[in-house]
Amino acid sequence: MTAKRASATSPTIWTVLKWTVAILAAVIAVFPVWWMINVVFSEPGQPVSINPRLWPTSLTAGLQTVHVIFAETAYLHAYMVSVCYSVLTIAGVLLFGSAAAFEFALFDFPGRRIIFGIVMLALMVPTAVTIIPTYLLTADLGWLNSMQGLVVPGLASAFGLFMLVQFMRAIPADMIEAARLDGASHLQIYWHVVLPLCRNAMVTLAILTFMQTWGNYMWPLLVGTSPDMYTVGQIVGMFNSPLSHQTVEVVMTANLLAAVPPLIFYLLFQRKIVEGIAMSGTKG
Amino acid sequence: MAFLEISSVSKSFGAVKVLDDITLEIERGEFVVFVGPSGCGKSTLLRMITGLDSPNSGTVSIEGKVMNDIEPAKRGTAMVFQSYALYPHMSAYDNVSFGLRMAHTAKTLIRQRVDAAAAILRLDKLLHRRPRELSGGQKQRVAIGRAIVREPRVFLFDEPLSNLDAELRVQMRAELIELHRRLDVTMIYVTHDQIEAMTMADRMVVLNAGRMQQVGRPLDLYDDPDNRFVAGFVGSPRMNFLAGEVVGADATSTRLLHAGGTGPLTLPIGGLQGQLKVEIGVRPDHLRILADGEDPPPAAIAFTGRVTFVEELGNVTYVHIVLDDGTPIVVGAGRGPRIGTDDVRITAPVGHALLFAQDGCRLRGRNGTGK
Ligand SMILES: Nc1ncnc2c1ncn2[C@@H]1O[C@H](COP(=O)(O)OP(=O)(O)O)[C@@H](O)[C@H]1O
Ligand SMILES: [Mg+2]
Repeated sequence: MTAKRASATSPTIWTVLKWTVAILAAVIAVFPVWWMINVVFSEPGQPVSINPRLWPTSLTAGLQTVHVIFAETAYLHAYMVSVCYSVLTIAGVLLFGSAAAFEFALFDFPGRRIIFGIVMLALMVPTAVTIIPTYLLTADLGWLNSMQGLVVPGLASAFGLFMLVQFMRAIPADMIEAARLDGASHLQIYWHVVLPLCRNAMVTLAILTFMQTWGNYMWPLLVGTSPDMYTVGQIVGMFNSPLSHQTVEVVMTANLLAAVPPLIFYLLFQRKIVEGIAMSGTKG
Repeated sequence: MAFLEISSVSKSFGAVKVLDDITLEIERGEFVVFVGPSGCGKSTLLRMITGLDSPNSGTVSIEGKVMNDIEPAKRGTAMVFQSYALYPHMSAYDNVSFGLRMAHTAKTLIRQRVDAAAAILRLDKLLHRRPRELSGGQKQRVAIGRAIVREPRVFLFDEPLSNLDAELRVQMRAELIELHRRLDVTMIYVTHDQIEAMTMADRMVVLNAGRMQQVGRPLDLYDDPDNRFVAGFVGSPRMNFLAGEVVGADATSTRLLHAGGTGPLTLPIGGLQGQLKVEIGVRPDHLRILADGEDPPPAAIAFTGRVTFVEELGNVTYVHIVLDDGTPIVVGAGRGPRIGTDDVRITAPVGHALLFAQDGCRLRGRNGTGK
């Protein structure tokens, strides 16, 4: 805002340049999404590919395609699976992450440093290394093609633990001790004092977890091989595959629908996401 | 048996001995102040009493019951922290009632107790506010309210006023004394500020480097310190110390030479044979600057020094003097003629001089002489 006002009075080369770059970047980022909308909401028989233009032409045609996808394919089911997968993962990551961070950050117990160090090592190991052992373990448990197989391996988030530990370390020891003197039990301190104080960090972690889970392709592909367990990512993959018999606007609609929840999420929590990324960046 | 007994409590963190064999008895209803320089172990001692930490050895008992293995919340103690430690996400009401809520007290009873505490602390109109909407003094009162509603047997205060500005501090001091009178309960108060200790304490406990130096009524400690540390710590400006050398001693008196003096001085403190180096302590208020040409009274302490600067505070003037050997001296003077930066002669009655051995112990004399 202030930058804008300042530039209105004396637009220096720099501000012009800065704004040009920013606008260009925004256009480049938004264009694919806009193109998708464009393709989806186009008059049937006048595909954008044949007749390129930058604006949608028919709302009803687009809605019709959405209806077809929901009614005639397994898309809606996959949507439900993805939502369940995301919500359960978020809940679990928050619960386990905050409970573990509570102990690591605010209490001392034998082996605390070593255990925390080991957990932090997990941050450095790429998923590619752990995914096969995790798969084998999940298979041994008989959890292939089940919701728990999808969710449980993702619950222990080293990153989430790390972030929450950083946050909780900033809670003054006095406050925890005051609660102890007030007769609060261990769990009561966690629930009534520490969790509310970590609300911001928890929201950030929830958002980051959502983005990650919703976009997770590899793990569901491995664990959920039966059509019952397909997530949105997998279904979209099938629409996109070369052997798919769908027309371009149907494929595009499938893609757009998959992008809607993260888009809404992003618009709602824009500020928190930026904060969260800044936080995990500076503190990491 | 005393109400609260601390017996032989010691505590170390690693190799550092933070509390060394503390033994202390506190009576019901007393206002006791632990005072000492920062880092001397005052907070640690409070934490032993309230149970946030446990001693390596020794016991703490309240009303005859050993508390060592009893949970902090069940000891009947309540603590007010220096940082207030209010829960920032709760209103003042929720802060004050937190302990009661955790204990699932009936809502009406909670309301009653909080209202009663709020009335005492003049918090009635602030109960809906969050801590960040309260001033320092108000936060402090909320923190005290949180202690009051628990109806503890012992209140513990850990430097509760040190985050307030000077004026508010004086006001809160008076309020705390009033609170003590009203509630008529035992209070233990920690501070590094000896003035705060002097003004508030029924009894004060001077600590240094984890050891108890002396316990007693503030004025007794002021008049009759057990050692050089207490003598120097209690009283403001602090006591002056002059290096001295014993040149003769008998059963009733000691003759010594001292810094800045001209001839041997005789003090009515006997039985100091064997001492060689000593220190003479005299409070600023007992020193007097001699007028030009005036002779010191016979048998009084007298010495000469150079004035370095003068603090004129209106009701009192402090003249800072340095002796030839570099010893700094402060003289409390009335409002007199302006004093230049010349040499001045200073005197004090021998009756006010205290003697300290080289190890800091007070030399009282073997036969009860010298107070
Ligand atoms: N948890 C602890 N671990 C290690 N050292 C500590 C701990 N608590 C206090 N200390 C040390 O003990 C000494 C006394 O501390 P404290 O009781 O807080 O002093 P005071 O309250 O008189 O300023 C200090 O030197 C401090 O560094
Ligand atoms: Mg302290």
